Amino acid sequence: MKKKQGKKIVLLASTLLFSSLSFSDMAVIVHPDNTSTFNTAIIKKIFLGKQTKFTDGKIVIPMNASETLPTYDAFNDKMIGKSRTQINAYWARLVFTGKGDLPKILTSDTDIVSTVSVNQGAISYVDSSSVTDKVKVIANF
Amino acid sequence: MKILKTLSIASLAFALASPALAEVKFSGFGSLVAGQTLEDDEKLNADFYDVGQYENTTTFKAESVLGLQVTADIAPDLKATGQLLAKGTDEFKPELDWYYLTYKAADDWTLMAGRRNIPMYYYSEFSEVGYAYPWIRPPSNLYWWQVTQFDGFHASYDFSTENYTNSVTAFYGNEYSDDNKEMLYYAEIGNRQLNGASIVRVDEYWTDIAGFNVNVIGDSFDIRMVYFQNDRKRIDTNVNGETAIRASASGFSQQFLGVGGNVNIDNLTIIYDANYVAYDDDVGTVFPTYLISTVYNIGQYQPYLSYSKADHWQTKSDNEKNYEEHYMASIGLRYNLSSKASAKFQFDHFEDEGDKATGWDYHGNSQTVTAGVDFIF
Repeated sequence: MKKKQGKKIVLLASTLLFSSLSFSDMAVIVHPDNTSTFNTAIIKKIFLGKQTKFTDGKIVIPMNASETLPTYDAFNDKMIGKSRTQINAYWARLVFTGKGDLPKILTSDTDIVSTVSVNQGAISYVDSSSVTDKVKVIANF
Repeated sequence: MKILKTLSIASLAFALASPALAEVKFSGFGSLVAGQTLEDDEKLNADFYDVGQYENTTTFKAESVLGLQVTADIAPDLKATGQLLAKGTDEFKPELDWYYLTYKAADDWTLMAGRRNIPMYYYSEFSEVGYAYPWIRPPSNLYWWQVTQFDGFHASYDFSTENYTNSVTAFYGNEYSDDNKEMLYYAEIGNRQLNGASIVRVDEYWTDIAGFNVNVIGDSFDIRMVYFQNDRKRIDTNVNGETAIRASASGFSQQFLGVGGNVNIDNLTIIYDANYVAYDDDVGTVFPTYLISTVYNIGQYQPYLSYSKADHWQTKSDNEKNYEEHYMASIGLRYNLSSKASAKFQFDHFEDEGDKATGWDYHGNSQTVTAGVDFIF
């Protein structure tokens, strides 16, 4: 009996570890000096162009990963809750009526980290393994 | 407004010629749509404004369109935008349809000046961008006005509350639509005469267009309200070059009221738009219209149903309700081919319930099939 319980605990522990790893292998990052408040709702508003200022009053510069990076779909799915098509249809309406500008697009995690590290208003997302001490992680997904 | 056109175009030209000084972006949208009615004598107005029609032979010209947008940052917080549109109904001859300047006066204030679509119905401002909505087109029996654009000014104020993103936009402008395509079409099919000679040109003027939009966007819904008013004038020209103001369509103002939006419930999207147009003419003309549509989202597929109804009454007349009246019932499917292109198939039933005795049943019933691809770039 004891042995079985032990196995169960190991299984449970490894399941927890695995799921927590797979849940947080990507990170939303901002400039290290950014002390604003963040939650999923705020991040979503920022990337849909509905919120243009951080809670500290600074202007937001959202930057998307290029569609070729795995973080792009993961971010839209888990943080925004929309598919690529829904995102593009949403922006098509704004862009072609002059009511919104698409977030800038960066093509690699290295680019994203270096751009965010030198822009106080920047916010983007990368694979957790790409995070350095020059940026601040505000959420994992 | 010629000054605005010159300014916008000059800004764009300047930006294009000196890319080092301004960030210039190109983007675009398009729709390639083929369709036809099922029976010999049927006709469907798929695009009232540009007289895009389906008959019993397959055509690509009724609704196919290609749009190219250029935006240029010409100064800090100042942007110039131009949109070239080539439509099948105009033999794909490109026209500079939109040109305007956008000035971000403050973080929450945006000013725009130039030529844009009038924000009438929910889909009016992006009715040509097929990729942005589920159907082949927003229901044409509501988007039936002979004027869709104007030269004017917009001021928008954006504000957020905890759960809602909101904006209020006030607008003012004028539209002098010389040689209006839709009005000439009606003059021709009705064999309209002036001084006993055929009318060959109709000018349609909507002036002092003034109103506002209110938008409230929540997490799973949005609501848009619109009100505007404008003065109306129509001038006929006959084959002999004689002109006259058409009294029945001039010298009164019109009010446009509407509320529309989306509600998302799990995989279901419900789209609604209800509008009421009233003239202050002698007979009390009003046009109540509405749209209700449901779209189901399953992976890359979006099957949909829609129903749109348009009416025309004369509230101060003895004969109050026997005028124009029709509905359009549609069923269709959107399939997303990629993140930038979608294929659509649609079947429309148009039922003309207009009064036969007075000739208001001039559209006729029709059943139409259309298939198309919408894309953005």
